[in-house]
Amino acid sequence: MFDDLSLVFNYTLVHATLRASTPILYATLTCILTQQADILNIGVEGIMLCGAFMAVTVSYFSGSWLLALAAAVLVGTAISAVMAVAHLRYKADIFVVGMAINMLALAVTRFLLQKVLGTSGSFYDKAIVPLPRIHLAFTDGNEILRSLFSDYSLFEPLGIVFVFLLWWLLYRTVWGLRLRSVGLNPLAAETAGIPVFRKKFEVMLYSGVVGGMAGAYLSLGYSRLFAENMTNGRGFMGVAAMFFGGGDPIRSWIGCLIFGFTDSVGSRLQSLGLPPQFILMIPYVATIAVLALALARKTANERRARSALK
Amino acid sequence: MKRKSLVVVALCLIASCLFALPAMSADKPVKVALVLAGFLGDKSFNDSAYQGLERAIADFGVEVKVMESKNPADWESNLIAMAASGYDLVLACSTQIAELVDKHAADFSEVRFGVIDGAVKAPNVKSIVFAQNEGSFLAGAAAALFTTRTEIPGVNDKKIIGWVGGMDIPVLHDFLVGYEQGARFIDPEVKVLVSFAGTFNDPLKGKELTLAQYDQGADIVMNVASNTGNGILEAASDTGKYAIGVDLDQDGIYPGHILTSMLKRVDVASYELVKDVVKGTFGGNSVVEMGIASGGVGLTDMSVMKEALGEKFPQDILDRIQELTEKVKSGEIKVEAYAGFQRN
Repeated sequence: MFDDLSLVFNYTLVHATLRASTPILYATLTCILTQQADILNIGVEGIMLCGAFMAVTVSYFSGSWLLALAAAVLVGTAISAVMAVAHLRYKADIFVVGMAINMLALAVTRFLLQKVLGTSGSFYDKAIVPLPRIHLAFTDGNEILRSLFSDYSLFEPLGIVFVFLLWWLLYRTVWGLRLRSVGLNPLAAETAGIPVFRKKFEVMLYSGVVGGMAGAYLSLGYSRLFAENMTNGRGFMGVAAMFFGGGDPIRSWIGCLIFGFTDSVGSRLQSLGLPPQFILMIPYVATIAVLALALARKTANERRARSALK
Repeated sequence: MKRKSLVVVALCLIASCLFALPAMSADKPVKVALVLAGFLGDKSFNDSAYQGLERAIADFGVEVKVMESKNPADWESNLIAMAASGYDLVLACSTQIAELVDKHAADFSEVRFGVIDGAVKAPNVKSIVFAQNEGSFLAGAAAALFTTRTEIPGVNDKKIIGWVGGMDIPVLHDFLVGYEQGARFIDPEVKVLVSFAGTFNDPLKGKELTLAQYDQGADIVMNVASNTGNGILEAASDTGKYAIGVDLDQDGIYPGHILTSMLKRVDVASYELVKDVVKGTFGGNSVVEMGIASGGVGLTDMSVMKEALGEKFPQDILDRIQELTEKVKSGEIKVEAYAGFQRN
């Protein structure tokens, strides 16, 4: 039994956790940006899916991951611009807009997969150029070091950089302060001379950029293919992680790591003969647990805040 | 509001006329509908079924319609829609659809159903099942032999092999039973890691499970997962390890990383079913089993791997597999079957 446990919990779990948490992390960052301006961006799933499709298509035809990334970002921005116009200019409910984008993305990518790439289900080809992998030559001799530090896809370490960059932007710059004030109290922000509409629009566009990158990572970093509905709820898990962290990038990242960890442990437990039905439940159980934790903390905070006023 | 609904009704009428026209004017060629529990493009089970139909189109000029969906809620309506719209033969390709045929075949007594990968007994249904346990036996034996060849790059010294399946359904257990027996036959100490992705349509899940098995010491993993398997094969090529393909010859997808593929001639099954209808020899209430002896299952000749590995290629594995193939054929080796998979 101890032998078996060491097959589940060993050093390779670190790499696996980081890899599995990264797609969720980019989705979370997408949501955090807009959440800080009080916009719940559940369209992230659809943005990612379109970005993933675009990235694979452009990479396949052009042979350049840079162009593919740019195209994915462009698509993400375009979609979020549509969402921004619908929500901000025409006052549509953001939840409805987001759902519409998700459903549209599912259908459009399926349609284009057949029309542009001439296949259905999934598309892969040797001509698809993936995002670069960082191979550290000095770790070659040591299996443990190599697993821990080497062979990450470019966007995996970059995602962690983004976490801290976004945290700094939100909590240490004037831009972030103004953005948060727009989210917390738009009336006060407007009174203070902050252009609320423009600020919200701006941040929606930025979230489209990150959402596009999330998609590109999913199809060119995490894998090297496009599959129908390949996001498979990862965008929603990103939303959950964002709630877990209350919009704070670092805390939300921890939520993503929990998801990545449970997923990786689940994959390992299964191969030891545990019933797959239970293992496949893990991501969903983890989501509920993570959200319950976040809610418990939030209500505790509110209770404390209320009693302090008395 | 009233005007709007009138417009909708009018549009529906026009649309139904458009769709109805070809059905009325051209009922000469035999019409075949293929109902899948997934999508074409899996380079595996579903594509194999379609390849058989392509040959049937070329040979008999039949008309083919394919209904794809990964959503279980759609499968039943797809099947009923095809049965109800005048197709001569409705092919139910996969165990899950077979169960639905069992439920509805009596309602459409004038339609003939061909079932692949499931056994349904009804006067208008002919079923073909495969002895995937026999083919997997060979795959398991090949994997168990391969995992000890540490001179081949990417092969470790642990006697661990892997197996990743799609949905947890009886036919996959039939694969698994054979695979495990094959591995044990070569070396009782070989450990087989087993995972189910829970879906045939999530390559990322397949990749994650396969990478986990590689991390746990497996160096060769068998794919039995349709579209999910695309991720399994990708994991092999990403990490410089090995996989075994399934259904179609997948050896060439990532040359040098796929030792062999367990062929399951779904294409032969779909072709034969269409041929039966065209020639008028379609007999209901029958279940045909295709095993190693009838060429329904088997391994590839590993030629792609041979070319990729050059002189490091373990020729003795291939020889041993050929020897085992003959023994299974002659009945000298009896391959266990999964009791939960209904064969007749």
